[in-house]
Amino acid sequence: MSDNQQYKLKANWHRKTVLEMGVNGKSGHITTAFSLSELLICLYHGGILKFDPADPLWEGRDRFILSEGQAGIGLYPILADIGFFPASNLLNFLGRESTLGVHAEPNTPGIELLTGSLGHGLPIATGMADAAKIDKKDWLTVCLVGDGELYEGSNWEAMLTASRLKLDNLVLIVNRNHQFTIGFTDRDETQRDVILDPLSEKLESFGFEARTVENGHSFPDIFDAFEGIRGRDNGKPLAIIVKTIKGNGSSVIANQRGYHYKVPKGDVLEKVRKDLNEEFELLCAHEDELMPALKGDE
Amino acid sequence: MSSTKSISMRDSYFKALYPIFLEDKKTMLISADNGAPYMDPISELPNQFRNVGIAEQQLVGMACGHAREGRKVWVYAIDAFVTLRCIEFIKLDMCAMNLPITAIGVGSGYAYDIMGPTHHGVGIIATMRPWPNLTIWSPSDGAMSSALAQISYENGSPQYIRFDREGLPDLYGNGTDFSDGILVPKKGSNVTIVATGVMVHQALKIAKELEKFGMDAEVLDLFRLKPLNEEALLGYVGSSRLVVTLEEDFLTGGMGSSIAELFVDNGVETPLLRIGQGQTFVFDLGGREAIWEKYGLDEASIVKKILTRAEKIHFFD
Repeated sequence: MSDNQQYKLKANWHRKTVLEMGVNGKSGHITTAFSLSELLICLYHGGILKFDPADPLWEGRDRFILSEGQAGIGLYPILADIGFFPASNLLNFLGRESTLGVHAEPNTPGIELLTGSLGHGLPIATGMADAAKIDKKDWLTVCLVGDGELYEGSNWEAMLTASRLKLDNLVLIVNRNHQFTIGFTDRDETQRDVILDPLSEKLESFGFEARTVENGHSFPDIFDAFEGIRGRDNGKPLAIIVKTIKGNGSSVIANQRGYHYKVPKGDVLEKVRKDLNEEFELLCAHEDELMPALKGDE
Repeated sequence: MSSTKSISMRDSYFKALYPIFLEDKKTMLISADNGAPYMDPISELPNQFRNVGIAEQQLVGMACGHAREGRKVWVYAIDAFVTLRCIEFIKLDMCAMNLPITAIGVGSGYAYDIMGPTHHGVGIIATMRPWPNLTIWSPSDGAMSSALAQISYENGSPQYIRFDREGLPDLYGNGTDFSDGILVPKKGSNVTIVATGVMVHQALKIAKELEKFGMDAEVLDLFRLKPLNEEALLGYVGSSRLVVTLEEDFLTGGMGSSIAELFVDNGVETPLLRIGQGQTFVFDLGGREAIWEKYGLDEASIVKKILTRAEKIHFFD
């Protein structure tokens, strides 16, 4: 089985897990998490980030900041899968005695900061990246923001500092799923919403090197964009815009504004489950290739 | 306000902070484009100073990043901006994550008198008081400001220091122990005036004036607004017949409110008179004293309020 096939199975598992966590916890930003499945798997399973599940605060780890903290439900299964905490914790998402909340909290192993109020991650990231520069450390600060989050002015304040301090050890990832809670971030037909485009040009004019992943659900495309992120020395912070589909994985919740913060129920829920199961079966069309994936990553 | 020192409290603080920065390289001062004569030497230390520009959210957010990586961090701006402009960053990135960041605000109360409501440092005590883990300092003189440098360095949790804009007359010697968060610049017996910041100086003048009416007022300098030294406060007011609080901030949620809460929670029934600003934005020009006169914070107005209350509670009977 190819790596790509393994990753696709992992993404399918990720979405199924997120969905059932949301159903079980009766809450959580499921569609946001669905937009991030491939990206998070690349970061954590694909070897982009440096980390040590046995030592979550290992000094040499990359600082991954989930600035769109509502995507916690998407990150928790990944962290459990690679061993930061037992997978059984996922069953208690949002429950008593759990640290796995709607929004990420640093008392969860593998979670760097308290996030969820938007526009905090990037300012904090500039401090971390600056500290790494001063202390001559080679770890990266990687900050994931939502595109809707970029409407918070603090991000643009932070970009001014990041470029001034030449923080080329800072990577800003933009989850570009084009959706607000009640609108879109880059469509003008409604005359209602604020327009974020042209985003790449805006980031470049703020001193960033900007890359774009046209299909944020393609593993090869994501890996390509993250090529050479370590050891950059052009003096420019790096922004990677990852174009995604909110709710990707099931047509009934994909690109549906109503499911920003709503757990699918009834027929919709069954359709999402069915879509994910069908995808799984398609991926498993060659049964002999499936077996290693089902057994895990060995 | 007649005799002011040439060096501001802020500069007394920075002057004392400089050797700390020389000694400990894991320190960082970040400014939102605010300067000070005694800040300059710190700003010249490589990798211990950043200017983020007039961007207070970035100021506190960046400080959080540095603090998470093991630095003690100071953030500096005008009082109204380092607090109200970025209160959520203080709430989450300083207080909720309980990091060793000290926010330095200059120009508390009406210190920026002619600057208007944009720059008046009011509403800030009420805004800053609720947040867990935060210590709030409101110094009243240079020696205290100087001592706060070491205190804020040693305290490993979030702090906020509100400085008056200018120097205030000396009250304390250099060896003074400031660890209690409260001091008694004037002893008295039957009236207690609890004041903070610039109002401590006002309270001392008022206490003198009250002597003419047979009132022996004790002045408490409450320079640590949070956490309150409850035990000390309750002890000091124990034998008093009237307690007056005096602050250059809104009465709503301010220092006087914290004393009222303390009294209620502890069953203290001593009459309490809170003096401060009512629900008014100040657009008036003409300087701080003009503002005080108009809004009842000048000596004569305060004395009158105290005497009126004293009569009501039959103080003189």
